[in-house]
Amino acid sequence: MISAISKGINGNNRTFQAREKGEGQAPELPYEHDTLLKNNLSTRTRIGMEKFIKAFTVYPANGINGSKNSNFYEFLTMGNFPNVVGSLTLMAIFNSANPFFSHFGCKEASRLGNKMALGVLFYGLFKRFSKTLINYPVKLATGIDTELPYAKVNNRLQEHPNDFDLKSIEYHKVGESVDFTYWDMLYGDPKKGEKRNFRFDKIAKRVGLGKDLNDSDQEVKPIYKEVLVKSKVAKSISTFLWAATGVCLAFQDAWIEYFNCATFKFWKGKDFAHSMKIFGRSFKEASKELWHGKENAVKMVDKHAGKAIIGLAVLSTVAGVLNTIHITKKPSKLKAEEVMDKKKECVVG
Amino acid sequence: MRTDNLIQAYVNSHPASRKYNADKAVKNFDVNKELMSRTFIKPLPGNGKLVRPSLFDMPSEISKGLKYDWNAFRHALSGKANDHELGKLNDVGMKIGGLAIASYLFTRKGTPMTKWFEFIGLTAFFGAMNIWPKLFLQLPARLVHGFDIRQKYEDNYGRKKMVFSDHQFIPWDLYSDKEINKIGDRLRVPKDIPNRRDYIQEKMRKIALQNNTMWMLTSGFATPLLSALICNRLEGPVAKYLHNRKDKQSEELLTHFNEEISKADFKPRQMALDNIIEDNFGQPLTRDLFNQIVSNITQGQDPAVVKSVTEDLRSVIPVGEHFSISTVTLDNVREAFKNMLKPAGLSEEELAKLLPENSTMLNFLTDKGLVGGEYKEFSSHSLAMQELLTNRITAFVGQKPESVQSRRLSFLLDKMIHQAQKGQDSPLEQAFKTQSSRVLTEDIAKHIRQIGSIFDTLRSKTSVLDKYSHIKVAQDQETILADIWNQTADDFIKALKLTPEEIAKARLDSKVAGDVLRARIENIVADKTACGELVSRMEKLLSVVYSKTAPLEKDNHLYHDLVNSSFKDAAEELRKLGLDRTVDSLLGFGENGATGIKGLYHAFMNERITGVRSSFYRLLQTINTYYKIAHDKGINGVIGDFRPREVKEEMVELVKSILMEGHTADFAVKLYQRRNLTPDLSDIGDIKVVNGKVQYDYYGKTPAHSRVSMPNDSNYFSDAMKLMFGDVHSDIAERIKSSVFFNDFQAYREDAIKKLGGERNFAFPQVLVDGIEHKANSTERFNRLGAATNEFMYKLANNKFNSGKWFSIFGKLGAAVIGVTLVSQFFMGRMKKPEPVKEAA
Repeated sequence: MISAISKGINGNNRTFQAREKGEGQAPELPYEHDTLLKNNLSTRTRIGMEKFIKAFTVYPANGINGSKNSNFYEFLTMGNFPNVVGSLTLMAIFNSANPFFSHFGCKEASRLGNKMALGVLFYGLFKRFSKTLINYPVKLATGIDTELPYAKVNNRLQEHPNDFDLKSIEYHKVGESVDFTYWDMLYGDPKKGEKRNFRFDKIAKRVGLGKDLNDSDQEVKPIYKEVLVKSKVAKSISTFLWAATGVCLAFQDAWIEYFNCATFKFWKGKDFAHSMKIFGRSFKEASKELWHGKENAVKMVDKHAGKAIIGLAVLSTVAGVLNTIHITKKPSKLKAEEVMDKKKECVVG
Repeated sequence: MRTDNLIQAYVNSHPASRKYNADKAVKNFDVNKELMSRTFIKPLPGNGKLVRPSLFDMPSEISKGLKYDWNAFRHALSGKANDHELGKLNDVGMKIGGLAIASYLFTRKGTPMTKWFEFIGLTAFFGAMNIWPKLFLQLPARLVHGFDIRQKYEDNYGRKKMVFSDHQFIPWDLYSDKEINKIGDRLRVPKDIPNRRDYIQEKMRKIALQNNTMWMLTSGFATPLLSALICNRLEGPVAKYLHNRKDKQSEELLTHFNEEISKADFKPRQMALDNIIEDNFGQPLTRDLFNQIVSNITQGQDPAVVKSVTEDLRSVIPVGEHFSISTVTLDNVREAFKNMLKPAGLSEEELAKLLPENSTMLNFLTDKGLVGGEYKEFSSHSLAMQELLTNRITAFVGQKPESVQSRRLSFLLDKMIHQAQKGQDSPLEQAFKTQSSRVLTEDIAKHIRQIGSIFDTLRSKTSVLDKYSHIKVAQDQETILADIWNQTADDFIKALKLTPEEIAKARLDSKVAGDVLRARIENIVADKTACGELVSRMEKLLSVVYSKTAPLEKDNHLYHDLVNSSFKDAAEELRKLGLDRTVDSLLGFGENGATGIKGLYHAFMNERITGVRSSFYRLLQTINTYYKIAHDKGINGVIGDFRPREVKEEMVELVKSILMEGHTADFAVKLYQRRNLTPDLSDIGDIKVVNGKVQYDYYGKTPAHSRVSMPNDSNYFSDAMKLMFGDVHSDIAERIKSSVFFNDFQAYREDAIKKLGGERNFAFPQVLVDGIEHKANSTERFNRLGAATNEFMYKLANNKFNSGKWFSIFGKLGAAVIGVTLVSQFFMGRMKKPEPVKEAA
């Protein structure tokens, strides 16, 4: 609802002026304006943690209250909630009733339940880390970091008269939208002594457009967009296939040894170390089992199903990377003098 | 007044807005007036529209969706896709990943049901993900608030999006005033408020946002729970469908028997035989060759058949009977010499000097007329070789034949032609018997091929019969018999009306399960009406079991006809080729040919059916006996008036316990029981029964009952058997006598008395029912007795408890999530009513 500007919610006149510091002052924010961030482990972890916590606290509260500031970013970030809760529920469905069963029934049910729990865990981990298999080679080949983060300073609407906390930080990625890529973030800041196009220059050089281009940004943007699109589709397909590989790995019988001694009580150093050692061994054996099939496998499909699933994941990754780094939007390599056909007459005037 | 700002510049420059060009503006154009009436600046005319698909549009929507996904994929590969298309591809990737998981796990599962459920589980998961917001948020919201919170619209580019996905950018202009006002009426928004449309829109936005948030908060719980519950509920229908499908497929195996057997491919075996024959044609028939041939032509046959074929083929392929002397023989003889002289510790050079050359051996044998013929034994040859070697040794050790080395060598030479083990050839004899004088001829090859072909035909038939019998009755999961067992057992536990507490107790241990079941049955039999109902339900269950298994019995089904014809055809062909022993091993001899492989095919099917039926008959018989004990005043007629009451109590307790817990071992020891050696002879009254339970005045009341069993009481076992498996009580017979299984049940009882009670055994050989001995092997006794009732109950209670417990936990959780989600709808969209704008003073 759009309120009349002339009147405030209480009927008082609004004033547009800087408030004095003191009570009711909005908390200090780490960023005053939209800021490009470094894509390193520390930043990723910090952003991940903040988004994770807010997905369980602030954003659901905003949504349930019907806040006028609740936006699509919050909705998407809240996706962490069903992911985590869903994973835990799925684990619980296959495990939490088991202790009530008889000893034999419990053991049998837990065998499947443990595999399922490990499968859920591996699904998430394999999906998360398999993105690197696309991102890293693409960055290496093109110089384009498709996951480059930035902090967006968001101006919020006042929810109530005492609401002075009108700014919030959102963490986005420069290339999260291929239609509305935030190009401004990629320009350098001359005040900091940066060349305006220095990021585009680097990419241009890496993709073979040459050095010292007059307007590298204009040359690079179509390429940047192409890489974004292609890498996104590569990740969409390959990460799920890697996640599937993770689940298949978790369903190997080799894990039974680990399940028998698994402990998360890290404060019991000796037991935990032993558990981790067996985890490593089971991982190795399960990988072999997935690749070769069960020892008693007779049918071709039983012997080679594991190879097929791994092969699909690898193939989708390699094909995705090759397709991404195969850039079609490079400008023609014609020399300046070849741009115009000398044999043809042309009238300028 | 002219405006000169960015908006104006845009409006002027856009082709669609040229009608607003100031140059073409109407005369006396007043921008303030236009702005007030909001007719001057308008957004570009939108081509978007709200989408309201009906069920009938679903096929075309699915088709359009697939086409859109495919185009999105093509665009993405060429780097031209947009955000919406990339978002769709992410969903496609998730489904491909899910399909990969299900496909892999499909290969890991062993039974059709578990294989199917990999894909059903995947579909249920995606289905739950899809239907949860529609069924528990969208539908209730529509019912409560009167509008669709998941309303979709199609934008200018034909892309379908949710209206309320991004609350900062809701395309309100797609809703007409009429529609918004209608929703407002449904939302009970007063009609006389200012900016009514804005207020309604804000209320709609709030409701949609709250629902979207609820979607995020609940779907984590709801999707796995709902998919698990869907799978849980689908188990029954899917099992039923697969059962019928399996049954039909198995019957088709027999009705299309000739087509099925033609699918068998024996070319690899035949090619292997051709290679063996080709490689050895015209070559001596050695043992190795013989073994290769037998192994090839009897592939997949029972070891007993292979043994018979081996024996039969000896007359066709004479191996080990006739030998000739050749270079190979002489090489072997020389090798045998070498091995024999090894303990003497001679060097290679010394051995070379000592051992005769092949030509020397051949000349020596030729001089003695021992070469060129066909020989059965080689004693003369061995002696000749001994003589030759003795000469060489004598020459080797010089003129000292009595020297130690000479004596040692002579000793070793003797050992070579005199084998200590009776019936076994000496090493030298064995060396001579390596080169058969007979060779592989065309006639033999033809004969072998014929035999191989007969076995191929037999194997193609038996493999179809094996497949059929496996699907029907094998001791495996999800066979037809296993399905019948599971369904009947499940229905039986329902018929008993056990409480959850009883089930929880019975699943702890088979002994406890027996106690629970015994108490339950005693409780039921005490009430004639309740017992009648239980027996009637059991009658229905057992009728189904009987009806479904009766067609599979011997001489009653195409399977058994095909078994007979398959073996008979093969036997006739083999007999023509002189393989009589093989025919015997296939057809067997004696009563019903039980010793042959054909008999096994008949017996396997029949025994499995007998075992399953007996288990269920035992349940009915247990109820019958408990009922007789509870109600039959004539129980004295069974166990004898002359017995003291204490003995009667002992016997009743024994019978009840054995029916509940007994195994074949209990019958083998004639039902061992601790009894009182000196019962009270003064009381010969009948037992007392109250509410189905026997009131023991003697049994268990004195320490005397911890004493041993009494082997001299020969009638005790006989009477106990009659009490257990004797007549059916008239009340129960009345309810089952017209059933299809009644005669079979009667036969079961009689057979049980004979086979379990008539076996002479090690414990008390003189104790037999009525003193008559009946022969029965352990399999027959096992199948007749069936599963122990308490163990049957224990397994059933475990399954029931486990599935019940799981359903209780997650059913409640699911109900709670649904409840909270539905109730939350009534707390959504609450807003203060706007105050009317006061007129400026």
